[in-house]
Amino acid sequence: MTTRVGIPRALLYYQYYPMWQAFFEEFGVETAISPPTTKDIVTSGCSRTVAETCLPVKIFCGHVLSLADKCDYMFIPVIRSMGKNAYNCSKLLGLPDITKAVIPESPPILDIEIDANKSKYSLYRAIYSLGRHFTKNPLRIEKATKKAWKIYLAYRQKMSSEGLMPTQITDKMCDKRHQVDLAENDSPPLLNIAVIGHPYLIYDDYINHRLITQVQAMGAKVLTPEMVSEQALDAAMTSLVGNPRWTYEADVVGAGGYYLQTKVDGIIGLAAFACGPDSMMMNIIQRRARQLKAPFLYLTLDEHTAEGGMLTRLEAFLDMVKRRKRGQSCA
Amino acid sequence: MKTYLGIDVGSVTTKLALLDQDNQLITANYLHTQGKPIAVIQEGLKQIERQMPPNAEICGVATTGSARYLAGVIMGADLVKNEITTQAIATMHYIPNVRTVIEIGGQDSKIIIIRDGIVTDFGMNTVCAAGTGSFLDHQASRLNVGIEEFGQRALKSKMPVRIAGRCTVFAESDMIHKQQMGHQTEDILYGLCQALARNYLNNVALGKEIQPPVVFQGGVAFNQGMVKALEENLNTQIIVPPHHEVLGAIGAALLVHEETDINGNKTQFRGFSTSEAKYHTSAFECKACPNQCEIIQLSLNGKVLARWGGRCDLWERTATSHKDL
Repeated sequence: MTTRVGIPRALLYYQYYPMWQAFFEEFGVETAISPPTTKDIVTSGCSRTVAETCLPVKIFCGHVLSLADKCDYMFIPVIRSMGKNAYNCSKLLGLPDITKAVIPESPPILDIEIDANKSKYSLYRAIYSLGRHFTKNPLRIEKATKKAWKIYLAYRQKMSSEGLMPTQITDKMCDKRHQVDLAENDSPPLLNIAVIGHPYLIYDDYINHRLITQVQAMGAKVLTPEMVSEQALDAAMTSLVGNPRWTYEADVVGAGGYYLQTKVDGIIGLAAFACGPDSMMMNIIQRRARQLKAPFLYLTLDEHTAEGGMLTRLEAFLDMVKRRKRGQSCA
Repeated sequence: MKTYLGIDVGSVTTKLALLDQDNQLITANYLHTQGKPIAVIQEGLKQIERQMPPNAEICGVATTGSARYLAGVIMGADLVKNEITTQAIATMHYIPNVRTVIEIGGQDSKIIIIRDGIVTDFGMNTVCAAGTGSFLDHQASRLNVGIEEFGQRALKSKMPVRIAGRCTVFAESDMIHKQQMGHQTEDILYGLCQALARNYLNNVALGKEIQPPVVFQGGVAFNQGMVKALEENLNTQIIVPPHHEVLGAIGAALLVHEETDINGNKTQFRGFSTSEAKYHTSAFECKACPNQCEIIQLSLNGKVLARWGGRCDLWERTATSHKDL
């Protein structure tokens, strides 16, 4: 019987799924993905976690629960740091422990800690101990790692060169039924609207009340952080704040800075309520946008189920951007 | 005579405004929604029909406010517009050089920043309703002061008390404490106005560039105490425009007038008989996927007019095939 590793469709999934899948595939291990977020997943996740936890982590727990009896291992990597002196949020660092505590019925957790502040040797050792669950042959682990990294680079490259969203690639890989059907409109879009924030907020249709579809339906082209190369994001971030403090600062500060430089018609910042790092990073972009007099809408997501409040803000924002643009072209 | 009708269905009040082709206000109505938007829209229509000049003809209908989609279906609206855009348009119609709009309604409050006739920024209150009219309404009823006399009495205050305005729950316990200490009701009332003004400026207007002329509108602008509290806080004159309580409806009418002039379309208005029709709403839980969306269905004489509330368009799609009924 093949071993199955469960991968919750939440948090880091959107950034790394193709890489993880390629790694496990090398050992003949199957990956099981939880379905896109549903009301049940949110409810079950919220029922296990304390109220103060942020919504993305609650949803993550819901995804783990939905996979608990469908796999032999649960894969919960910890990305501590991807660059010097920049760290991830404490909730993401403690994710395997949170999961163990609130979901005791979860199958054994496979965790791996990535920390760029430590030596290369500790990185190899971390990957090796992950691979050891499936093979004793270090050469096979090395081969899987190299392949996975290549896949990751190709995935990132494909998104930035073709202007694709992660879901347009991953949904094809893991479940045909959930392919995002992006109706290609022949007429050029009226507006270019950038949506900045973490991928788990932008691409989870449940958490953001179908934000991307709604903005597209209002006649705008949606641009996201993944459509920009990592180098360009990093450059924009460095010019704004110097060295980043947070692991995924490029999603917010990098993307915000980049889209402000390229003069899109408007920027929507998506943040989770109760997210400390987001509240600080969004503020940097908010201030910069104000200096440049660029339209910026800050949306905070929480457990609301009524989408009316968000729709009113989106409609008003796009009206404002359209009228401003019309006013500028007349002047 | 060509006329244009705007309807603003808010959570607390429903406003209707009828404009002529020169954008002059013919008549306006201000009704309490009382949780029954459909019945109130119908009542408002009846009133408009009575007040309309005999030769008037409705050439465009637009809806706005939090029940704008519901109202749009009932009326057969030509335009459904969010309340920020409509408020801004109407304010600029009356005060062309406006730079800041403060709007405080029943359940929400907004700030709209306008530069050279264009909205450049806006803000709305977040999940909390503390900085809104319902805060005053609630506290006034605790003090047994009618909301209509609130403002006048607040102006009589000589030594306003300081009340924590961050949260309605805190404000209430703070207010009860001051009341039990023996403070004058007038001083407590003006203290509440100041608390609301502070709350508004520190939350909704946080980080926004408030420049004069500052216009204050919405139902709460009736309250003279609030006008004074905002003037003191901002150190500038506050303009309360004419028809400030129905500006959302006026803005909707202005926009639909502009739009019908551009595209020349005939109105989709269902006519005044709508006010007699038997609308019925029902809700059910969709079972098609695990999201279990709550679908609202609006029907007229047993025929479904519209459905909404779903995360996908499964039910909305089936409803549109009945749209021509």
